[in-house]
Amino acid sequence: MREPTASWKLLALAALLPILILVTIDVSIGGTTHPESFKRFGNAVLTSYVLMGILLLGNLFFYADSRHRPMAPLVGMLFAIAVGIGISYLLISNDDLLLEANSGMRAQMLSNIVHLLVSGTAMVLAALLAIGATFTMITGRKRRVLFEEEE
Amino acid sequence: MDSMLEAAIWFWIPLCAVPLGMWLSISGISKTPGRILCGLGFILVLFSSWTVPASDSTAAGHLLLSIVAPSLLMLYGIHGMVFGGNVPVGKLDSTARWSGGFAVIISIIILCLMHWYNFTPLWRDGQINPYWIVFWPTFLLFSTSLSSAAAIAMVGYGRDRGGEAMKLGLLSLTMTGIAVAAMLFDGYLTTADEFREYLWLAAADIFGTVVGVGSAIAAFALVIWSYEKSLPAPGNSPPPSDDEIKHVVALANTHIGGEEE
Repeated sequence: MREPTASWKLLALAALLPILILVTIDVSIGGTTHPESFKRFGNAVLTSYVLMGILLLGNLFFYADSRHRPMAPLVGMLFAIAVGIGISYLLISNDDLLLEANSGMRAQMLSNIVHLLVSGTAMVLAALLAIGATFTMITGRKRRVLFEEEE
Repeated sequence: MDSMLEAAIWFWIPLCAVPLGMWLSISGISKTPGRILCGLGFILVLFSSWTVPASDSTAAGHLLLSIVAPSLLMLYGIHGMVFGGNVPVGKLDSTARWSGGFAVIISIIILCLMHWYNFTPLWRDGQINPYWIVFWPTFLLFSTSLSSAAAIAMVGYGRDRGGEAMKLGLLSLTMTGIAVAAMLFDGYLTTADEFREYLWLAAADIFGTVVGVGSAIAAFALVIWSYEKSLPAPGNSPPPSDDEIKHVVALANTHIGGEEE
């Protein structure tokens, strides 16, 4: 059997490189960096962490079904989500650290959720395009004859 | 009615109803009501810019409604392209591959026209929907990135897949070309400067979302692992008693033997 020549590092590099190239072109054309992108990164991390945590909390329902409904994982996951919400609260309410062009903390938090809804939709659509194109390539080839006896 | 309450009733509660309905449906607690709840919530979110026009958040619902048509066309095209090929189940006619490819190209062209032509989603007072400039660079960046990774995976894990990998690389290059064009040429209602600024934010969004989702999954795995680790190890079962051994031997004897061939 043939050994795969790709590794996770190579795949991660292939995923990162086009983004880095586009950002480099962006800098070379515009000549400026955007400090606001740090705030966006921070808000995206915290919002996606909390929302994904809530979705996984729902997933614990299936896990609990096969384990006589223990409370410990539920409490543990609730604690993990609470930590995320607490950090979000602290960082957004702390001066100008994560507050974007919004009037206050509540507006920022709601804006983060809506923003994630839009960017998440864009990412899901892009993923469907890329995965669909990959499967199209895989299924596009005619069936190979592996052994002469098959003919 | 208070504007906050209106936004809660017509946007936020329907938005929460979507994952809740999906969960009810997937968990099997109530499949049909779950699907109805999910569908109803999604429809209310799509039309929220009419039901609560005062709320800024509903711009997201308006944007989702604007991209529903090209998204569905893209999904139809992908389905045709995949199942028009050599698949063991659900195979479509081979022409579905071509019509599917055509549909995907048209959907990408429509998205481009939404940036460069007057298909741009307009929100209040003829102004561009503020989330369009969030969606478009994020879609371009992420599809470029994933197509590139898929091309490397195809050539790395597959056998004699160079041609297919090249085609995936071409898709990645096409999306890169569209992004570069948007950086250089003004859109219908957005400038190239604005696009460049939002491209940075889109990159930050993508990295942030990946890190956040990864952290949540890691926290989830940690919680499950620590709980499983705290459980006592299962004890050894006692050896069978004489009666049990006799019973097993009797059962075995009834199944051993038979006539010789």
